[in-house]
Amino acid sequence: MMLLYAIVPADAPAPEEHGLAGRRLETIRSALAAVIVEERPDHPRRSNEESRTFVEMICSLATITPLLPVRFPTVLPTRSAVLAELQAHEAAWRRRLTELDGLSEVVIRAQWEDPDQEIDAASHTSGTSYLLSRAATLQHHEATVAEISELVRHLTCQIKVLSSQQGIRIACLVANADVPQLKDAILGWQQARDDRQMVVGGPWPPFSFVVDQEAVNA
Amino acid sequence: MSNALEKWSNEQVALVDLIDRVIGGGVVITGDVVLGIADVDLVYLGLRLVLAPAHEVDQSIPLGRRSA
Repeated sequence: MMLLYAIVPADAPAPEEHGLAGRRLETIRSALAAVIVEERPDHPRRSNEESRTFVEMICSLATITPLLPVRFPTVLPTRSAVLAELQAHEAAWRRRLTELDGLSEVVIRAQWEDPDQEIDAASHTSGTSYLLSRAATLQHHEATVAEISELVRHLTCQIKVLSSQQGIRIACLVANADVPQLKDAILGWQQARDDRQMVVGGPWPPFSFVVDQEAVNA
Repeated sequence: MSNALEKWSNEQVALVDLIDRVIGGGVVITGDVVLGIADVDLVYLGLRLVLAPAHEVDQSIPLGRRSA
């Protein structure tokens, strides 16, 4: 079976890395785009270790070519199946690769003092107090998302709010040259609010932006 | 500050977010995707048709496509 790693331009250099199964990565090319794959005898184990290694390989590949990461673990049975998928989507993938060239993803995570603890306490009193507490928490989340989004809007091409069990997470599509400025902006914002833990991850390949959602929604 | 991620370094938290992105983001194509952490299948996403806890849909997955 073929484990898919990333969509790359048709003329992307062949990677020299070996894949998760220790096989040499291959590039299956079509006229407008190509797919980096590894032929392997079995399905990926999907362990933390393999997920981590996969993501490190994607980040490594991104240093030599623009790419659209493929969700892990995606497998197709044969080379011809990979080629069929490639030929079915290559125009859209080529367009998105061009749009994302020179851009990276940065994920901003903001957390604060145990918002969920208040909900747990309230849930022991009455349904109304629980709902009021829940509404206050959601309003706090939304206000923080709005504040951070406004802070970084001039530095980003797209913003996407990601699901989060604690606090908030915001994915930003940023020009590579603007990443340091964005990190500085977040750091400065955090220093004025010591009740929040901020983590800025990236720059990474644009995992959250492989589809132009604004164009899809238009 | 007391929260679930307090004991983790910023680098570890960022790595968690990065792994989350590679299994939650990226190009979805017509293939079989099983999302799992620590070898526990969480979600089976087949042919973009099914999104449900794996144990609820596993019975409907043809034998040849079941995860190991």
